[in-house]
Amino acid sequence: MQNAKDSFYMALRTRLAALNPERTILLRGSVRPGILVEEAEAPFNQLPSDVFILRWHGLRVDQDLCAAMATAECEILYQTCGTQSFGGLDRGRSLSQMDAELIAILQPCFTAKLSYTATPPTPMLTQVFWDESAFTPIVVQRDLVSRSAKLLVHCYQEEGE
Amino acid sequence: MAATWFSAPAPVTRRVRAYFAPVNRVAAIPTLFDPTQQGSFPLDNPPAPWIDLGWIQDFSRKAASKSSSVLSGIPAAPLEQVRETLQAQVSLQFLSWTKLTMALATGAQHMNLLAAAGGVTAKADGAQAVAAVSVQPGSTATSIFLASADAADFTAGSIIALDADYAGQTGFVGSPISGAYVRQAITDADYIRRITFNVALVSQVTPTGLTLAQPLPAGAPVAGSKLQVVTGFVDREGGSFYQEWSALFVMLGSQGERIYFHYPRLQTTASAEESAIPLSSKNPDGQARVLLKAQFLALPVTDPLDGERVLCYRSFLPAANALV
Repeated sequence: MQNAKDSFYMALRTRLAALNPERTILLRGSVRPGILVEEAEAPFNQLPSDVFILRWHGLRVDQDLCAAMATAECEILYQTCGTQSFGGLDRGRSLSQMDAELIAILQPCFTAKLSYTATPPTPMLTQVFWDESAFTPIVVQRDLVSRSAKLLVHCYQEEGE
Repeated sequence: MAATWFSAPAPVTRRVRAYFAPVNRVAAIPTLFDPTQQGSFPLDNPPAPWIDLGWIQDFSRKAASKSSSVLSGIPAAPLEQVRETLQAQVSLQFLSWTKLTMALATGAQHMNLLAAAGGVTAKADGAQAVAAVSVQPGSTATSIFLASADAADFTAGSIIALDADYAGQTGFVGSPISGAYVRQAITDADYIRRITFNVALVSQVTPTGLTLAQPLPAGAPVAGSKLQVVTGFVDREGGSFYQEWSALFVMLGSQGERIYFHYPRLQTTASAEESAIPLSSKNPDGQARVLLKAQFLALPVTDPLDGERVLCYRSFLPAANALV
């Protein structure tokens, strides 16, 4: 499933960079597209704002098929305080923009599976695919508004995985 | 170069996309889909003359063909099988209301409501229309040239119907898509524009003509074509005309495989019917989306390959590198 998780993240990251190059994060000394995998970074005291954070949850494997199908639940969290130039009064708009960006980068609902264990990554034989996302209600904490979207990411296990 | 492969489980897909293309009713020639040449077309851009009708819902196909056994011996045992009847039905729900989806979801002819002239007698399917204007030479499927005085009568955002004057002919009318069958001559010169599928939305009006937001299904206008403003569409419960179209349904699998269901000839069988789907399952009495329900009967074609009569072709294009 790791190849699928990597491929899913890289697909969303590439799509986000093309859709909104302005959404970036400075992380470990480098500027990157504003999306990261929580389990692949140092623990956060507080989640960063204005970026998408992928958090992986449950895993299920269907062994009855001719190729086992693995399904992992992914939660994509994001939050914003709005912009300083508007004194945070645009935090609702900022969150709506992130909603729209997330909906856009999740389409189409599939991407090629690659192995990122070596550079350059190696194309594999199958595709990673996912369901439509379910958005949670907005959570308000003082001047911070946040939301998450959950979806199931599926892949077929290939030989050697 | 050696290839690697994988064992592909059953295709995983979530929805079905529908494409329809006209049948030449006069010559009884359907539009055929060739998966070897057209199988990898972009779903948003089907090959001509297929018209994309978008994703559909509740797609169901039911084979009603019957076979029976020829029995022989004592006690009788099956010797062989024979196909007694050949029949198949298709049903679905369209997720949009357009000229074509409405027409396909009604069991009769489908008409355009031409903008009415002032002070005329009321009619249920559209009163006497404002006089049609002539299309000038050089027009294309998306750009209609008009005399400047005529262009001033149109506005951006209006819908137009473009076709020839009715001249007393009988039989199938509307070209290249037949929209009706005239049993005996009628007197309405606008009749063909009332039933034509050659409609489009005007995106811009210039002093020399109209720019259309979508290409006319019939392509560039032929000499003698005229156009009129359409205010909406109407169909009737009753009548003797059945829509007949070629149909193509596509399922796109998660691994890039494709399943095609190609019905060369589908005729509508059920009268106009809608289904209301509440936008919120928690509020079934709230706002609801109204979907067009369509039911079709498949008619046979003779496959020139071997002379067999068939109703449907199911094609499967496997995913790359999948074992078959």
